[in-house]
Amino acid sequence: MKYAFLVAGVLALGIGAVSAQQDIVKDRQAQMKATGRALGGTLSAMAKGDKPYDQAAVDAAFATLTETATKLPALFADSTKGLKEGNEYSSSPKVWDDKAGFAAHIADFSKAVSETKAKVKDLDSLKANVGAIGKQCGACHETYRLKS
Amino acid sequence: MRTDHRVLKRFLILFAFFFVVGLGVYWWLTIPATVAASTLPAHTPDVANGKIVFNAGGCASCHATPKQDDKHALGGGLPLTSPFGTFYAPNISPDPNVGIGRWSEADFVTALLKGTSPQGEHYFPAFPYTSYQRMTSADARDLFAYIKTLAPVTTKAPDHSVGFPFDLRRNLGVWKFLFMDGQPFVADSSKSPQWNRGAYLVNALGHCAECHSPRNALGGIEEKQRFAGGPNPEGQGWVPNITQKGIGDWSEKDIAYFLKTGETPEGDTAGGSMAPVIRNTTQLSDEDRAAMAAYLKSLPAVEGPPKPARKG
Repeated sequence: MKYAFLVAGVLALGIGAVSAQQDIVKDRQAQMKATGRALGGTLSAMAKGDKPYDQAAVDAAFATLTETATKLPALFADSTKGLKEGNEYSSSPKVWDDKAGFAAHIADFSKAVSETKAKVKDLDSLKANVGAIGKQCGACHETYRLKS
Repeated sequence: MRTDHRVLKRFLILFAFFFVVGLGVYWWLTIPATVAASTLPAHTPDVANGKIVFNAGGCASCHATPKQDDKHALGGGLPLTSPFGTFYAPNISPDPNVGIGRWSEADFVTALLKGTSPQGEHYFPAFPYTSYQRMTSADARDLFAYIKTLAPVTTKAPDHSVGFPFDLRRNLGVWKFLFMDGQPFVADSSKSPQWNRGAYLVNALGHCAECHSPRNALGGIEEKQRFAGGPNPEGQGWVPNITQKGIGDWSEKDIAYFLKTGETPEGDTAGGSMAPVIRNTTQLSDEDRAAMAAYLKSLPAVEGPPKPARKG
């Protein structure tokens, strides 16, 4: 009986560990979506003239982008390699096979976010500088993201 | 017995006759078309316009030497995988030995508008001449002048790796007969100049439909589903539908902004093969991007091929 509990316990732990990893994948997707909303739904929408410039919303968007930059390494933890992902996109194995290259892209993104944040004071400075962020998103997606 | 022989003889003569006629038709049908220098009107090349054609035509996306940042080093070598084999983009830098340094202007115009090499062979349609055939000869000549100003690259691109029977270039004449109409771009006078400029940029230069359309078993574009997306011709993934069925919720401004920055209205960014395309469109003028957007926004909604359910 004790043995059965032990086995059940180990199994539960194992399943728990797998689902924890699957949670990281979910968090990754949620963070990417939030990043998209901050950039496309707020910053770029203002730059395009679809939304009026709003400093509070700009600050909130930069807070999200900064959070993304900080979280990215953990969101692509080694333990999540090869796990099932969304229907639209998945991570390329290169994320884990070319760690140095991937880390360099995260560093570039981080730098672009902090530099742009420092430069944006009003609509004109937003228009002039916001492109730098999406450029880093695209630079990484080109190689490290696959279409499903 | 004698009559039997006569019938057989007649049959053989007829057979030989039709065989020779068939061969003749095949030969005639598959003659690579060319543009003679004598048919080109007087023209002073405009290098600045050539640069616009270069960017709008996306030449660098395939012909720039891979794995380096200079998009003007046109050494070729990028592999393009397809169901028919792997094509390697050739060196189109002005190097006289491995590039196009010895080409005449008419050779260049012939390559773009007819898909025929200076040696008189058909190019494989991995080179999007079914789109470039719509280009004006003036734009082609300006492009030639622009490429001539770039630095020669002395590395030779690998030969294509295409298996039998697709490696028989003469047969491409049949393919061209089926899928290449040889018509230039014709402006639609009922539409605005902006729309027409957009249509020209998207169809003749940008060759968007080459990837954003499904293809039939012979590798020809399914005309009814032009721009409606489909399986990635290079293998993995799915190319989006860019008719109003796919991007109906994008405004013209959204399309133009995407072509400038690679950002979608949702804040996502172009990845994969579209990322290098954005590096070209980002160099165009705001007016040209707005024209492309106006044209794309006008495409009627067309249902693309069904996307297969994702495995696993």
